[in-house]
Amino acid sequence: MARHRDHRTDGPGTAPFTAAPFTAHPYGSAPRLGAPAAEPAIELRGVRRVYGSGAATVHALRGIDLALARGSFTAVMGPSGSGKSTFLQCAAGLDRPDEGQVRLGGEDITTLGEDRLTKLRRSRIGFVFQSFNLLPSLSVEQNVLLPQRLAGKRQDRARARELLTRVGLGEHASRRPGQLSGGQQQRVAIARALITHPDVVFADEPTGALDTTTAHEVLGLLRQAVDSLGATVVMVTHDPVAASFADRVLFLAGGAIADDLPYPTPQTVADRMIALTAHPVGAAA
Amino acid sequence: MTNGLARASVRFRPGSFVGTLVALLLGAAVVVACGTLLQTGLTASLKPERYAAAPVVVTADQAVKIERKTGGETETQEQATPERARTDAALVGRLTALPAVAAARPDTAFPLPAGERTPAMTGRGFAALGIAGPGDKLVEGRAPGANEIVLDTDTARAAHLAPGASLALTAPGGTAHYRISGLAAAQRSGPTAWFADTTADRLSGHPGRIDAIAVQPREGVPTTELAAQVRRALGGDARTFTGDDRGTVERPALSSARSMLTALGGTFGGYATMTAVFVVMSTIALATGQRAREFALLRAIGATPRQIRRTIATEAMLVAPLAAALGILPGLALARWWFGQLADRGAVPADVRLDIGPLPMLAAVLLCTLAALTAGFLAARRPSRMRAAQALGDAAVEAPRPGKVRTVLGVLFAAGGCTAAVVANALDGEKAAQTALGVVMCFMVTVALLGPRLAAAAAALLGAPLRAGGAPGSLAADNARANARRLASAITPIVLVTAFCGTLLILQSTVRHTTGENVKAGVTADHVITTTGPGLPAATAETAARVPGVDTAIGLLRTGVVYESGDMLSSAPALGVGGDPARLPKVLDLDVRTGALADLGRAPDTIALSTTLSGALGAKVGDRVPLWLGDGTAVRPAVVAVYERGLGVGQALLPRAAVASHVTAAYDSQVLVAAAPGADRPALAASLGALPGTAVTDRAGFVAQADKDLELSGWANTVMAAVLGGFAAVSAANTLVMTVIDRRREVALLRLAGTTRRQVRHMMRWEALLVAVTGLAVGASIAGLTLVPVTRGVAGSAPHVPPMLALPLAVGTVLLCLGSTGLPVRALLRTRPATLGTARQ
Repeated sequence: MARHRDHRTDGPGTAPFTAAPFTAHPYGSAPRLGAPAAEPAIELRGVRRVYGSGAATVHALRGIDLALARGSFTAVMGPSGSGKSTFLQCAAGLDRPDEGQVRLGGEDITTLGEDRLTKLRRSRIGFVFQSFNLLPSLSVEQNVLLPQRLAGKRQDRARARELLTRVGLGEHASRRPGQLSGGQQQRVAIARALITHPDVVFADEPTGALDTTTAHEVLGLLRQAVDSLGATVVMVTHDPVAASFADRVLFLAGGAIADDLPYPTPQTVADRMIALTAHPVGAAA
Repeated sequence: MTNGLARASVRFRPGSFVGTLVALLLGAAVVVACGTLLQTGLTASLKPERYAAAPVVVTADQAVKIERKTGGETETQEQATPERARTDAALVGRLTALPAVAAARPDTAFPLPAGERTPAMTGRGFAALGIAGPGDKLVEGRAPGANEIVLDTDTARAAHLAPGASLALTAPGGTAHYRISGLAAAQRSGPTAWFADTTADRLSGHPGRIDAIAVQPREGVPTTELAAQVRRALGGDARTFTGDDRGTVERPALSSARSMLTALGGTFGGYATMTAVFVVMSTIALATGQRAREFALLRAIGATPRQIRRTIATEAMLVAPLAAALGILPGLALARWWFGQLADRGAVPADVRLDIGPLPMLAAVLLCTLAALTAGFLAARRPSRMRAAQALGDAAVEAPRPGKVRTVLGVLFAAGGCTAAVVANALDGEKAAQTALGVVMCFMVTVALLGPRLAAAAAALLGAPLRAGGAPGSLAADNARANARRLASAITPIVLVTAFCGTLLILQSTVRHTTGENVKAGVTADHVITTTGPGLPAATAETAARVPGVDTAIGLLRTGVVYESGDMLSSAPALGVGGDPARLPKVLDLDVRTGALADLGRAPDTIALSTTLSGALGAKVGDRVPLWLGDGTAVRPAVVAVYERGLGVGQALLPRAAVASHVTAAYDSQVLVAAAPGADRPALAASLGALPGTAVTDRAGFVAQADKDLELSGWANTVMAAVLGGFAAVSAANTLVMTVIDRRREVALLRLAGTTRRQVRHMMRWEALLVAVTGLAVGASIAGLTLVPVTRGVAGSAPHVPPMLALPLAVGTVLLCLGSTGLPVRALLRTRPATLGTARQ
């Protein structure tokens, strides 16, 4: 459990502003837990996504190349309409790119049928959405076990208990989501996202509906999942503080990666965001 | 098998299934009620009483039948005869000769009006004595001779009459004095007088033809053997009845009641079932659509489309059987009430029991479950097919426009409805009325399919005036425009209520109105002679004509004819006109269009037709029309006149002589009298009233020739309107409540943004009004499109819309919308907005 937050004291990252493809290890010095130059957890190659046609064509993604190592925590930021959501949906197999490849643990998921994709999401991807993460009719524990239940697998109740304890909700296993606060619901969602030992956990504005304190708790839990459980987390956010919990922040603008900031702090992230908004990226034009 | 999600969601939030439950429950209730009536119609029987001692009874087929060859198949069309069908008296001899037969007794009954000393009696031939068994015999005196009768002991004792006494009796065949020659055992069927067989034959009004033959076997011959011999001997000349079937011969009302119940349960049941399925399916679709977010989440975290479909189907399976089971008792109560009403109206013999069996209940449960399952699968198609990302994105926003298939289907159904309306235009009376519901159904499906488009159009149309209504009004207009689908699901049941109730009730009011108008304009007689007894003998009109001061007296014999139109058999009310038909215009102004009523007397095989009936038969003056008289006798009379005022009077006029021997009892129901110019009216009325057994009124006393079928179907229409309308009203309220409750987030947002409770209430009220007005407009258009051709067929007039019917219906609809929107909105507003926003979905 080597990775520590004090990496951030190294100051703003100096990774070059580049439109070139990222390699598997964009910042070579970053220590990786038992990751011997292994396959990245997730890899995007030339991913493009276009909505609509004719005059109404929107290029949501204009060619994303990216590899994220196992056990990493990546934040994705960008102004509205920068393609954050599309990026997350394409990467998570919720949406299909028009061009390019998404490889999850080395497997190309862009060619999979809807059923295979669904089963893949069920077992190898975890989700934490901004809200409405839980089925109101199921208890907290049943919600956590839902992916296993859908897969028709044996439900590992011991692991569910353990995860719930980890997120501080060990005693609330039999409650209904409606009886929990917003922050508690997000924590249950994290536990559910982790239940199947997924390759990647995707979080879409997981703290968007929470107050600062609760948001910190939830972000801390995601951080912990990376540090102590070796999970890989990709989080879309608009909050510089939230982004600072990550190892690395990717900035999207106009459907392309505009910037890449390792070891972020709230201040550096905010500065980059301001810069990005002030000088729209030429590459996106 | 299942993953338990369905069970969890039903158990956790029973509230969200209440809407579906209510719809299913009501649907099941209607199906059970109609099914029970249908079953009663199919199985109702009465134990024979009079024929209990005659194991085999022979009678004529009480129906007109035709065979049509369509393709390779032969299709039989059947229509019950309006009057009693009779069989040839000569068959008695044929049956008596059979080795198995001990006695074959001819049985004919004819009503005898009450005389000075005797009550109303049934007249019979003496040969019928003994039908009830060995005890059914002469107990005093001897058999009647030519001018003699035998009375039953009870009647004789009550009237203080003994053998040797003499009394005057009136029969269809005439009035005469008879001496009592003996007394016979009392009869279960009431006061009876036996005449000598030849006398009875003459008095019955239909010489040579008898009602039935009761066959008794020789000692030791089993019924099956007896029946087989009888059947062989008869060939196809008459029908043989054994067991409880003999009850229908004894009580002809039973078979008409059976066919009426079967038609009611089957036809109306069919429509009611379709409506039920329709309502159930739209409710389930709405409930499923409202949970789109849940299904989107499930899709995202790895539920396959199949799993979603199965979850939704399982939910339906959990709710439907329970709801249907709960609907059984209300359904039985409805059937009981309905049946009771029919019995009270004389449409069903009082001693027939409602047959409550498990089959209708099973059908209701199966049907509801199937409907719910289908609806669930259909509703699940969208959430399950959607890509997970789409699902998440779509969950909050309005679904896209209706698909192409849906639009094409909708247009097809609209075209179908119009075609059916045009076809109805060419049909006549009853048949046209029967098509009405089919036409409405076609348009209803259209509305269901094109609902969102319709709602969008309505929102665009009514949006402009709404915007003038301040912030709440313009909010309502925006909501309506943005949520056409939600609007449509609220409008559809309102259209259902309006179209159904409007069509059924206005159809009936039009018939009643036209009947009243026809009678008012048509009856020009100064006096109407009526009776409280079974009828007026033919002589009454002749006697009345001789009363000083009487210009014309014409007796009217009410009967019916059966005719074929468009490969279908129908019956229509007809009149046998006594006296000189040339004088008919003095008492009845039927608005003759072509020909002359005077020609009706020229030959016995003539007929005058109403425009409705002549239209149905495609006949004009001079043509010969194939018809069946009341007892099923085929005739081909020549058309001599076509008149306008049929409804309320009669669709056909025939010379009395042509129909008298083909009716159940050949009595006139009324005699119409025109006074000579300058006659002293009150004195005239007084001298007419002196005729025995009569009552005299002015022309207002003319009782409309109620077409019994139309009258009963009119009443049935009201009940159907109540049942279907009530059903649709409940489902409309159900839908509105469901849509309002689903908007708690929106309401919270509005409140947080500074909208006052008042404004929210006003906004919702405007939306409710929009739903009500659109629903009423569309429903009224459907009712209009349906009614115009149908009322032209039935009543030859445009639909008659009494304000006292239309106004309450419209006001009721508006109140229904306001109420079922307003109440849940109030409930939503009672909660603090902040709580609402975070409340669970």
